[in-house]
Amino acid sequence: MKTLSLSALLLCVMCVLVMMNLSFGAVSLTFNDLLSGFQPTSEFYFTIHEYRLPRTLLAMLVGGMMALSGTLVQGVIRNPLASPDVLGVSHGAGLAAVLLMTLYPDVSVYWLPWTALCGGLLAALVLWLLCGSHSSAIKLAITGIALATLYGSLVDFLMLTRPLEINNALLWLTGSLWGRGWDQVTMILPWLILVPVAFWLAKRINLVQLGDDVATSLGVSIPVTRLAVLAIAVGMTAACVSICGPIGFLGLVAPHLARRLVGGRHQILLPCAILVGMTLLLLADLVARTIDPPIELPAGIMTAILGAPYFLWLLFRTK
Amino acid sequence: MKRLLSLAVTALTLCLCSLAHAVTVEDSKGRFSLDYTPKRIVVLEFSFADALAAVGVSPIGIADDKDPQRVLKQVRDIIGDFQSVGTRSQPSLEVIASLKPDLIIADIGRHEGVYDDLKKIAPTLILPSRRETYEDNLKAAATIGKVIGKDQEMQARLAKHKTLMQGYAKQLPNNAEVQFTVARKDDLFIHTADSYAGGVIHALGLKNPELNRSDKQASRQIGLEQLLAIDPDYLVVGEYVTPNIINKWQNEPLWSVLQVARNHRVYRVDGNVWARCRGIMAAESMAEDLVKVFN
Repeated sequence: MKTLSLSALLLCVMCVLVMMNLSFGAVSLTFNDLLSGFQPTSEFYFTIHEYRLPRTLLAMLVGGMMALSGTLVQGVIRNPLASPDVLGVSHGAGLAAVLLMTLYPDVSVYWLPWTALCGGLLAALVLWLLCGSHSSAIKLAITGIALATLYGSLVDFLMLTRPLEINNALLWLTGSLWGRGWDQVTMILPWLILVPVAFWLAKRINLVQLGDDVATSLGVSIPVTRLAVLAIAVGMTAACVSICGPIGFLGLVAPHLARRLVGGRHQILLPCAILVGMTLLLLADLVARTIDPPIELPAGIMTAILGAPYFLWLLFRTK
Repeated sequence: MKRLLSLAVTALTLCLCSLAHAVTVEDSKGRFSLDYTPKRIVVLEFSFADALAAVGVSPIGIADDKDPQRVLKQVRDIIGDFQSVGTRSQPSLEVIASLKPDLIIADIGRHEGVYDDLKKIAPTLILPSRRETYEDNLKAAATIGKVIGKDQEMQARLAKHKTLMQGYAKQLPNNAEVQFTVARKDDLFIHTADSYAGGVIHALGLKNPELNRSDKQASRQIGLEQLLAIDPDYLVVGEYVTPNIINKWQNEPLWSVLQVARNHRVYRVDGNVWARCRGIMAAESMAEDLVKVFN
């Protein structure tokens, strides 16, 4: 009952945020303007239908998917500090994107998401080849962090040796929803198919939480489950990162908040984490757009401001 | 009789059509056509504002990083008030839309990713600005002149610019080696012969130092030892902040070995004018700076 009312509350908060995202920005609109913005003849058609609506939808999709993949990774790695970043996916995607921008500065930006997507998936593949499917969760996490650090340092190296391209690369690397529209929404939609698969695996993730031995004796194949869950997380993270850039801390903070709200049963935790992720990114983008108009800050900076202190607090508490 | 009349009407209409402003130019995305004279123009880089101001046209919106002082003073004096549409890297599309422009001029380097969105707001002319050379910039200005229906004025202005620059060149020593650098708080960036400033230096009959390099990069970060390896005759420092890296380096023993330090040939100029603005008036302003330096 408590979880139900909490979920309802979250849903309400999210709906309010959606309305706020649609009405506020550099130009604030009244409710009537907002409604008229859906008609192609309205003067606000571009602002509402072509700009704020896809951006809001994208914030919800990306926020939800990042939070979901974070919850999945934390579930099977069995470490509260784990997040999709631990798998090196976002850093791999970042490296691929920066490589493209520095080596081929003249190439069209339309290639950027596809390159980043390949980079992210490739990074996960490298991790899998190094660790195999039978290694322990902690080995997987440490190898992943080492690889992520390697990719990160390569990104730094490239940006130091090719200073001219820094601006564009930095902009993408901080994670932003600026200039994203219906094209990006349609690019991310196919990945939604992974969400029901994740829900279907929820019960098994619960069992994995009990420890490898107990889970195995209850009939859950640890390697298979872990591989499947991580693959889902990797796919969703790579898709999100390829479109918005790595939006920091979202995959770490959202699962934690959700767990505090509804506990650790994944049947409830997973949908709740999605709601929390959506809410957080909607809030971050709203603040980023309205804090000092017409300047647009990257939403990634907002989530980092929000997430970094929480992460610190978490570190001190777990000690 | 009736046929004759309709023929006359058609001919008249055709005549009127050709009288109305209709133009097709090549931009960075191919052909760009406009069949009216734009009145409400939004520009997303300073160089485009410079080109408009050069023929006395005022944009209604500029992506000025929310700091009007970044627009060249000579340009501001001509165009008067304008609205900021945010940063050049991430201009606010909703503010642009709210201005109801009938032409947007965007930079292929920065705004290609939102080109499709911009086109939904208004016809968008996309040209090089960031990383452009001096010649690219003049070409872009000529294109803008055609699109805004001021072709003749722009050609005249460009011719005047050429004369002005030749006049400045006469006041400058031939082939003196000038290195332009941008000084930030902790970093120094040299602008090479392939940069905009390098192009202006060349156009003024001065020389960019030979760099031992294989690429065509317009700017790169260097250290004090690398600066000593270049050892230019004149050092022009565009300052983004003061105090900056040059103030720090001046206390180092290696600095005193530099030709420019021994001969007192380090000159400080406005980094905003030299590195950010780019344009007809910006180049003239840079030339004036150099004339001051050498006389």
